[in-house]
Amino acid sequence: MLEIKNLKVNINDKEILKGLNLNIKEGEVHALMGVNGAGKSTLVKTLSAHYDCVVTDGSVTYKKKDLLDLDVAQRANEGIFMSFQNPIEVPGVNNSYFLKTAINEKRAYNGEKDIDTMDFLKLIKEETSKFDLDKKLLQRDLNEGFSGGEKKRNELIQLLLLNPDLIMLDEIDSGLDVDAIKTVANVVNAMLDGKKSVLMITHYDRLLELIKPDFVHILNDGKIVKTGDYSLALELDEKGYEGIGIKDETK
Amino acid sequence: MRLNDIKELTLPKRRDEQFIKVNFGDLFSYDFKNTQNYNFDIMGLEVRKDTKEYANSLFEITKNLDNKQVVLTINSNIPEPICLVHKIQEDETFFTNSLKIEVKENVKASVIEVFTNSSTNSAYSVNRSFEVNENANFEYAKIQDINDENYLLFNLDIEQKDNSKCKITNFEYGTGFIINNIINVLDNKNCDYELNGLVKAHKSSNTANVIKTVHNDENSISDINYKHSLEDNSRAVFKALSVVNKDALFSKAFQNSNTILLSNDATIFAQPHLEILIDELEASHGATTGTLDKEQLLYLQSRGINKKLAYEILLKAFESKIYDNISDNLIKEFIQDYKREKYV
Repeated sequence: MLEIKNLKVNINDKEILKGLNLNIKEGEVHALMGVNGAGKSTLVKTLSAHYDCVVTDGSVTYKKKDLLDLDVAQRANEGIFMSFQNPIEVPGVNNSYFLKTAINEKRAYNGEKDIDTMDFLKLIKEETSKFDLDKKLLQRDLNEGFSGGEKKRNELIQLLLLNPDLIMLDEIDSGLDVDAIKTVANVVNAMLDGKKSVLMITHYDRLLELIKPDFVHILNDGKIVKTGDYSLALELDEKGYEGIGIKDETK
Repeated sequence: MRLNDIKELTLPKRRDEQFIKVNFGDLFSYDFKNTQNYNFDIMGLEVRKDTKEYANSLFEITKNLDNKQVVLTINSNIPEPICLVHKIQEDETFFTNSLKIEVKENVKASVIEVFTNSSTNSAYSVNRSFEVNENANFEYAKIQDINDENYLLFNLDIEQKDNSKCKITNFEYGTGFIINNIINVLDNKNCDYELNGLVKAHKSSNTANVIKTVHNDENSISDINYKHSLEDNSRAVFKALSVVNKDALFSKAFQNSNTILLSNDATIFAQPHLEILIDELEASHGATTGTLDKEQLLYLQSRGINKKLAYEILLKAFESKIYDNISDNLIKEFIQDYKREKYV
């Protein structure tokens, strides 16, 4: 599904990713771990075409297309979803209107008809009730005045309704209580149908206990330096980065 | 007829502090072929001689050319807004019009005015005088859609009595040369005055809002809130002066201007200004200028919304705060349904 080769990325003329290689196949769950500043968020931001990230070398192939040729919206409509670490507040834009617009943009991209208002409301009711997500969030303006937890829940509502193929979670567990982390895991696990893939960034074992990764990658100084299965995350949790032979290059 | 040639008129100069940055030159020096009073198509309205001494000389232009003032008196609550539509059609003509709206005690009323044109090189000088009496509640909305090579000089003088409410919302859509000269001297107690404006300018539109508010008695509120979204080489001036005098204890005086510049050639001159002579009050003033928030733009795009649509959504969100402030739902509907083609 996603093949990253020798990816080099600059932010503000500073090289952050220094030749990263990663291959994610359909249905696989990948976890990306690493010390602060290793380049984890830069990777998902680059995959979402964030304006900060300048690709200087390498290639990214997604569903046999050159991902780097697609703009932000095209990537989303091709099925890439990035859950923001700090979802942006957009006062004046109703959350429900925003979500319906996003769904219709994706449908238009795929040559489908707009969703009918009744069908949209039905879809919201169905999806939010499955996971005990408060659909009242949709009546408010997009993320405006939301608590940290509400913002993350709102990201989950978007995730459910936009139904992407590649789910990228950038520290979605940060600032969440235990129950909220369980909700994240329930949503993501329910979406895993053998075809959808996940790339999640986390610092904690807690989320990985609930969403079992097939692969755990350790990123250090802009490159993946170690790959293993879930046991690597457990080892990391026990010994720390230095204990598994990773020297923090940012220090 | 050239305004500069009328000896009885003392016209403001561009260097006058109150009108600094407002380009009067073209309007004052243009030689109009005709002058004409714009008559309302309403029967039975009282007509008086306008004898009021106004706070600045821009009011004198209309008065000098035609000192008759039509008076619209609203004696009882009206369920729907009164709508007045002005269509300027004749070319090379200087039009005048003077209207006083009196809202009697305890009455709730609303008025909408629309100013459009299909003319070339014409000007419209309008004097408005609102008298909002004790406990009355008056809401007024204006749509200005005067296009290229035409001028609108809109002078508004407001007088509020004790415990009255007056809310004014201006929508500036046209691409012409526009001056709004708005004065409210709050001589009475417990008045609530709200002035909102949306300047949605493009092409070579030139819009100036010169606003003066004076608090002379206790417990009144003035809240001035303007939003500008400026495209192409449009230009806007926002100059607001709020004075709180010694007797105006416990006043609240707020001024705010927010501008989004949508092109490198668009310009704004925003100067909110407070003059305060007492300590017992609440007051604030502010002005922001910038472009659309790129983080917000990215967030919308990251959910599949194309850049153009995301841009439109954010701009609408910025502008919608002015619509949302309108209290009367029928005025809101009118503004939302407004299309220039309907009136030209």
